[in-house]
Amino acid sequence: MSAFIIYQSVASGIATGSIYALLAISLVIIYKSTEVVNFAGGDVLMVGAYLGMLSLVYFGLPYIATFGFAALGVFVIAGGFEFFVLRSIGRRQRHGHAQVVSLVVATIGLAFMMRGVVRLFNYTEQPRRLAPLFRGPPVHFGSVILQRQDVAIIVISVLLMAVIFTFFRYTLAGKALQAASQNPSAARLIGIPVRNMRTLVWGGACAISALSGVLIGGKFLMTPDFGGDVVLLAFAAAIIGGFRSLPGAVLGGILLGVVQNFVGFYISSSAISVAPFLVIMIVLLVRPQGMLGGASILRKV
Amino acid sequence: MRTTATIVGLAIACLGISTVAPIYYLYLANMLLIYAVLALGVDVLMGLSGQFAFSHMAFFGIGCYATALLNLDLGIPFLLALPIAVVMTAVVGVLVGFAAIRLNTIYLALATFAFAEGMRWIFNDWTSLTGGANGLRILPMFAFGIEITSDRQAFPLTLAFAVVVLLATLMLHGSRFGRELVAVRESEHVSMASGINVRRTKISAFVVSAVYAGLAGGLYTLNHSFVSPPEFGFNGAVLILTMIVVGGMGTVPGVLLGVLIFGLLPTILQSTLRSVLIWQEFIYGAILTASVLLMPRGIWGAFKSLRGFRLHAGSRLGQGMRP
Repeated sequence: MSAFIIYQSVASGIATGSIYALLAISLVIIYKSTEVVNFAGGDVLMVGAYLGMLSLVYFGLPYIATFGFAALGVFVIAGGFEFFVLRSIGRRQRHGHAQVVSLVVATIGLAFMMRGVVRLFNYTEQPRRLAPLFRGPPVHFGSVILQRQDVAIIVISVLLMAVIFTFFRYTLAGKALQAASQNPSAARLIGIPVRNMRTLVWGGACAISALSGVLIGGKFLMTPDFGGDVVLLAFAAAIIGGFRSLPGAVLGGILLGVVQNFVGFYISSSAISVAPFLVIMIVLLVRPQGMLGGASILRKV
Repeated sequence: MRTTATIVGLAIACLGISTVAPIYYLYLANMLLIYAVLALGVDVLMGLSGQFAFSHMAFFGIGCYATALLNLDLGIPFLLALPIAVVMTAVVGVLVGFAAIRLNTIYLALATFAFAEGMRWIFNDWTSLTGGANGLRILPMFAFGIEITSDRQAFPLTLAFAVVVLLATLMLHGSRFGRELVAVRESEHVSMASGINVRRTKISAFVVSAVYAGLAGGLYTLNHSFVSPPEFGFNGAVLILTMIVVGGMGTVPGVLLGVLIFGLLPTILQSTLRSVLIWQEFIYGAILTASVLLMPRGIWGAFKSLRGFRLHAGSRLGQGMRP
């Protein structure tokens, strides 16, 4: 009996956890390549989910096209924000504490603007859910029962992660992006357009969170504020992984999804919401650089 | 000396006006004063010493609940409960400071943010003590034998505390400790090499900031008959951050300007432009983004560079020290 519950909790934890992992990947990619913590990450996901709803309900497009629509829409918004706002801030202010604060505050501003715009539509007043990806009876894996939707979420997330890893490891564009983030001046010397790379990273990474938004829209109830709750879990996942490591973010996300299920089952459902913060605090106090963060890097003066 | 005299003179003038001003303005004034105390404290931590921490709403909440509960459950009068609550907040501030000196930038922001959310969870779920999500009803406080039941009666006491905090902050900015904080912000290595105890300075910044926030929380109980956990959430933290950044980080006039603008913005939008109320959140975000884009040093910084002054002491020191 209890073994069954453990398997079941792990399996459905992996489904939600892989969505957190996708959002965490998006945060980590942006942080690694631009040193900006994207506080608008949750709201980008929210906009992605609502774009998905626009495409599914209003345009009546199939799910495949919906993923493309949400990703493209968010790519334009986030890329444009980097191009018009973050780039100018970076140009006007010398590098350092003041610049980081300005950039973070700008992302908070973006979060509020997006939330404000989504709220303009009366349709978003009621909490809603996207149609499930796949209908039909749940699937049995041995003794574990999973909704078809959860299976689809896991499969799609794993595929996406594989695409992201392949992109960074094996394609020229991916390697150029890594070079641009690791050593911007050397990358510029060998002809990589570092500034345009940043726009691309912002658009691309936010498009990933838009995809996770469409995935999560079928599981959670959507409101214009729901991104804020989800992004906390993604932050926690990224922190567990050290905030600089993509595999770490994936591990952290899935770990968090599973831990949430256990906490909800064995302790109480109100403790679910505090679990990520406990995880963040404990991880940072024990290992300030995260579980997979490696040795802490001393910044150049 | 002249600044002190001006501030005290202005405060006495405000006190005079407060006896005849409409009660709604006094409500706004009390709120602005509490925001000012809170924001000045956050600025010591964020603006002066450069620690990007989100713990202030937790300290604000601790100050508020501690004052209210000491008064309600133990019957301690307000003027005694407030200092006790501030000391309690300071103790928590020391603990957070000790944990925080190991962290910086994003890790510090997220750890303190997690701490704040954890505190909010305690406010929300320790139902037997705090009343939980239903909130806590506060009885009117007594001070100097007067029962404080209205904003008009709360105003003089709130104003007095805010003026003391303002004068103390001005002194801090000019003091050796203030310069040490700025030095730590600009470069920990150089500070260490110049004989500044970086750890002690950082922890002190956390404690000062916690004391301010605890005091603000205690004052909050004066003119509110009710507190509930959502008041100490992330939105409040972002509001204070916005005030500081838009007004002018690391400068006292800038912070006060920011408090004035963002404290009054919702009221102004509600009273003058009812039709744009639905756009409120968007306008808020747009102001935030535009101000960091166009005025990186905030309104006060832009004003000062227009007047051709050198910017505040902090950045002058910083420019000298950058390699």
